[in-house]
Amino acid sequence: MDEAGDEYCSESFVGINLKASCMKNLKIICRLVVCCGLILICVLSFSHTATADCITGACHQQLKSFARLHEPVGEGDCQACHEAVVSEHPLEKGQSFKLFAEGRDLCLSCHDAFDPAAGKLHPAVAEGECLVCHDPHGGSRIGLLKNADDVKMICLECHDANSFEQKFVHGPVAAGACLECHTPHQSRYEKLLLSDPKSLCLKCHAELAAGLEGATVIHAPVDDGTCSDCHETHGSSFVHLLKEDGIKMCFSCHEELADKYNKARTKHAALYKDDHCGNCHAPHFSNHASLLTTERESDLCLRCHGQDDFRRSKSLKNIRAELAANEHLHGPLVDGKCSTCHDPHGSDFFRLLVDAYPETFYAPYRKGTYAFCLDCHEENLLRFPETSIYTRFRDGKRNLHYIHVADPRKGRSCRACHRAHASNGPKLMNETGASFGNWKIPLRLVLTETGGSCSPGCHRRMSYDRKNPVTEK
Amino acid sequence: MSVTVTVNRCHVIRIACSAVLLYLLILLSACAAPEVAGPQGSVFFPPAPNPPRLQYLTMISSSADVDGKKLGGLSIIAVGDTRAEKPKPIIKPYGITVSNGKLYVCDTAPGRLIVIDPARKSFEFLKGNYSFGKLKKPISSEIDSDGNLYVADAVRKEVLVYGPSGNFLRAFGKSLGMKPVDVAIYGDYLYVLDLHNHDVKILDRKSGKHLETIGKIQDGKHLLSMPISIDSGPKGSLFISNMSSGKIVNLDRDGHLLGEFGKLGDGFGQFGRPKGLAVDDHGRIYVVDAAHQNVQIFNKDGRLLMFFGDPGLPFGSLNLPAGIAVTSQGIDLFKKYIDPAFEVEQLIFVTSQFGPAKISVYGLGKLMD
Repeated sequence: MDEAGDEYCSESFVGINLKASCMKNLKIICRLVVCCGLILICVLSFSHTATADCITGACHQQLKSFARLHEPVGEGDCQACHEAVVSEHPLEKGQSFKLFAEGRDLCLSCHDAFDPAAGKLHPAVAEGECLVCHDPHGGSRIGLLKNADDVKMICLECHDANSFEQKFVHGPVAAGACLECHTPHQSRYEKLLLSDPKSLCLKCHAELAAGLEGATVIHAPVDDGTCSDCHETHGSSFVHLLKEDGIKMCFSCHEELADKYNKARTKHAALYKDDHCGNCHAPHFSNHASLLTTERESDLCLRCHGQDDFRRSKSLKNIRAELAANEHLHGPLVDGKCSTCHDPHGSDFFRLLVDAYPETFYAPYRKGTYAFCLDCHEENLLRFPETSIYTRFRDGKRNLHYIHVADPRKGRSCRACHRAHASNGPKLMNETGASFGNWKIPLRLVLTETGGSCSPGCHRRMSYDRKNPVTEK
Repeated sequence: MSVTVTVNRCHVIRIACSAVLLYLLILLSACAAPEVAGPQGSVFFPPAPNPPRLQYLTMISSSADVDGKKLGGLSIIAVGDTRAEKPKPIIKPYGITVSNGKLYVCDTAPGRLIVIDPARKSFEFLKGNYSFGKLKKPISSEIDSDGNLYVADAVRKEVLVYGPSGNFLRAFGKSLGMKPVDVAIYGDYLYVLDLHNHDVKILDRKSGKHLETIGKIQDGKHLLSMPISIDSGPKGSLFISNMSSGKIVNLDRDGHLLGEFGKLGDGFGQFGRPKGLAVDDHGRIYVVDAAHQNVQIFNKDGRLLMFFGDPGLPFGSLNLPAGIAVTSQGIDLFKKYIDPAFEVEQLIFVTSQFGPAKISVYGLGKLMD
């Protein structure tokens, strides 16, 4: 004890053995300090024990059922979020604890905040409603979600379930795997997508991605990456998750074809069955013009028009056989083009022809009646009875095409002498004869350097010569 | 009296000196005649704000505009007669034809035909224009695939034929009683436009034999009325301008009427006095109008596309225009006149019978992207 201590003792306890009594007091003080320490330890111990009791006690048993506990819960640190407002717990009425903060502010005391500039926020995130999706005590192994097995159920608490309940649903939708496509908090892409739509789709549809890599012709929406122009992303009433019934889907962009489809006098059967447009066109990509599925257009047509079909009483004509059996092909067919003459989407003319051509054997020429042929062939072929220009089938200047076709009473159509697709004769002359009822009229044409003669079933042998007219009438 | 005589003599001498000085001044000023300056900035048709489709490029009025040899201002005084170096002028041009980059210009007043080769910078008079081959009033000409030149002479009332080297070969059609004003060639046939009979005579281009006459009457209708110019289109049909009816008539080579457009009037697509006519590779039809003093361009269906050359411009106006020729060849030879931002597809040559610009050169095209 130093002098100051002695002095203090002398002043405080006058008349007593000051030194002895100071020592005694010091012991008491020490004991008091120790007791206070023990009490404090007991109090603190009581608190800790009380938390541990939240999880293990009889009141909060449900906290044990989570696959994964929120970290503070797992560590028994309930007071990371809760604080006691009264010492008594549980209370019959009212609450013993309250949260340190409300909503997002409580979460942000530990978790980092989302930067609004980094992308669009999920409305729940933006509004700080974390508990819409997450359970604060525990939940799925990833993200403490309320329902990890079917995330969709969490989503549908807010989002309309209608598109998820269609006849056809997208695989991830059916599996409740919304997070395969969407990110839950924030995204730079529309609809909180994980990436741009095209990449996102091709992430799973790898066979499509592989095909697109080598394709030379790509459907515009595919190329633009707007798959949702044609497909619903969640569910649809139509197969392939299309937004509309197959052909209507196509017409939503290809409007000009809708009119033909609905109003054409002659309809192409292929357009009205099975895959409709898809019977001829690939929807996503192709290596051929117009997204056709074959390189040569004629190969595509001959898939249907190039075989004998004995199942039907009025089957399609086997054009493949006709082409194979004849040496000379009509010009467009040499290039494998059928659409030069036929409109596969529908036509107001006979046999889907692109312009007017008579259906009958007899059809006198009038302006426009043979527009189909004269679109390519000399337009003035049948216009003048005399010509030195428009045809080689003339006697001097006497236009024999005019005489045959423009006869106002009995003008014959081109089919009387020519075949449409192929022939073994020059100028597609129909050597085997045109059908005239049950009879095939033989042509028996003989050509010379400056003219020729023929002796068909129509008349006796008659000759013509361009340089030295025969002038037979 | 003597004083008076002296004074009068002095006065006469003074007047004589003044006259000589004036003459010398006139002579000197004539020798140093200002060449027509090029356009200050490009002249385009149609005018803004329409996008330009045609540019006036230059003019040719004498050999100096082709070979670049100008007559020096003092040469007459210093050397005396320098006739050999004098530029050869174009006096009163009418028909003009372009073939293989050469221009064949009928100069009616002096009765000669000028062959201009911009590539060689040559300006020459037709070699065979003398004796039996002497031209009196050449109106128009045409070149065949062998390089022979066929000239319609309205006074001789014949078609004169000159070989590729310019020598006279023969003359056709005297016996047909026609007034030939233009010729067109297709294959072996020569189509001679007869102003007097309002028709087209078809001759064998080698023998001159008259084969047929077309264009008279079809379905009770006179097809041609004072036809003045003929050209064949890309498909070989014949386009003919008619001064009296103001129509451009399209006949096939057999004489069938394929179509017609235009009429007399002063509206768009109408004509006051249609003259020269040309058809380009794309089927566009160019018609010169001597009354409106411009050229109207039509598409193959007779729809008016644009017009150019109207009077009143410092450059690019026409003055009693007559003939026209169009070509897509030799554009590079006029490159220095073409605006750098303009891309020329066709050259157009138009003759004016009066004014400083006897042949006006235009370029049809478009602004480059």
